[in-house]
Amino acid sequence: MRKFFPVEDLARDERFNQITMNDRMADQRTVITTDSRPSRAANRIVPSRGDASDAARGLMHGIFVGEIQALEGAGRTCWDFTTGEEAPFELKLDMARQCWDEARHVEISVKLSDWMGSEIGEYAENTVLFQAACSNDPVLRLAGVNRALEGLAIDVFTTMKEFGEVAGDQYLEFAEDWMLADEVTHVKMGSDWLRKITEDDPERRKKALDFQSVVDKLFSYGGTRSESQESPIGLARRFRELAGFDDQEIDVIAKLSLAALEERKAAVLEAQAAHN
Amino acid sequence: MADAKKPRAPFAPWDRRELPGLFSVEESARRVGAYKWCELKLFEALGGWIATVPELDVKMRLGAHCYKHAWHAELWHKRLPELREMNPDRLTVAPNEHMVCFIEALTEPEAPELTIEKLVGVYRVFIPHFISAYTFHLNNTSDITDAPTMRSLRFILQDEFEDWRDGEMLIQSLIETPAEVDRAAAHQARLEKILLAAGGITGSGTIGFSTPEHEGAIA
Ligand SMILES: [Fe+2]
Ligand SMILES: [Fe+2]
Repeated sequence: MRKFFPVEDLARDERFNQITMNDRMADQRTVITTDSRPSRAANRIVPSRGDASDAARGLMHGIFVGEIQALEGAGRTCWDFTTGEEAPFELKLDMARQCWDEARHVEISVKLSDWMGSEIGEYAENTVLFQAACSNDPVLRLAGVNRALEGLAIDVFTTMKEFGEVAGDQYLEFAEDWMLADEVTHVKMGSDWLRKITEDDPERRKKALDFQSVVDKLFSYGGTRSESQESPIGLARRFRELAGFDDQEIDVIAKLSLAALEERKAAVLEAQAAHN
Repeated sequence: MADAKKPRAPFAPWDRRELPGLFSVEESARRVGAYKWCELKLFEALGGWIATVPELDVKMRLGAHCYKHAWHAELWHKRLPELREMNPDRLTVAPNEHMVCFIEALTEPEAPELTIEKLVGVYRVFIPHFISAYTFHLNNTSDITDAPTMRSLRFILQDEFEDWRDGEMLIQSLIETPAEVDRAAAHQARLEKILLAAGGITGSGTIGFSTPEHEGAIA
């Protein structure tokens, strides 16, 4: 088996359809709308939104494939690096633990998707999460996957948990709450290892943090996640604090996300004007 | 008990624990170091394979099992300093070159069509050898002096039995034709021959028999 596994080779059965981040962003059926009808005045996934169940199902499928890739990425970090020399033994133990957690998240996601009435492969699979797990520096993987993407997972699970709460769906609320607990642990692993490994290597730390902000930006693109109700997913400040983010770091992500939302709205308006 | 001063034997009549055990401190540490090396290699391989298997249920099982073997490696890592090995890395080694070859052959399959080979290597070869090595250790060490190792062995063996059953059921569910039965058996035989040369996961004497070098043991 090779060291470093290309994203194109991720093994899937025939139900899955993979797309890249570029494909996704080129799709005009954007998650952001400037539709002013009451049902779509806010994009946040809440039960009162007209297309709430479909949006929630789509998001759930996104979580499901994200969990598969998180599982695969953590597994590759166990394999790709020499123990002791390229990655500390204890870091690999954490990654193995994450494998177990992500495997359970896939199981939970399958059950939840079933509960919500969707099927495996009903939506496309964006493979960007695994791409962030392909870096040849384990610290960059932890920054990109554990801090940026699993940070996003904290936001997503918090939004879904609230959705379950408001909709009176205890099954959904229960499952999201448990996944949230694991994700906080995974983000904290990322924060702790980043600090520990780069303690005496400011250049490597900067590189990792830069990579994290690239990934954060990628996911803020389109304003999918921000503190505005116009974004489908909120920013979970409290859980991010638990996971080792400081206030300043959360403020940076909040600002970045809002700017991305405004940018996307302007682009949508421009596209609509050109169409009319 | 009415009389608090009445002497009692330190070993109750039903307590059959004995001294000495078969292994010296050094031999215990050497075995534990080999266990750690093998568990480490196994969890690394299971982690790497997750992305390469298309079967969703297998993918998830590998993820769960990857953690269990990492935990075993951690238990052995923590036991080493208690066995006077203050630099655990020194003993975290393959018992011999054959064992290194075994890991190379075990981790060779990568293509998505080779799930049977991946699982056979782990669940029909490697894990049964763990079970026998751990059982031999458990049955031959002193349950007084080496009780901490035995406690870990029992926890780990419980995992190994469960994982072996999981893996074997997955293999049986994947094998659908006589040709696949042959494929599984051929891969198993190839790996077993290497382990025969290695003498087991801790080298010759893993389960009490010393293994002579066999001519052409490695096919
Ligand atoms: Fe997860
Ligand atoms: Fe996670």
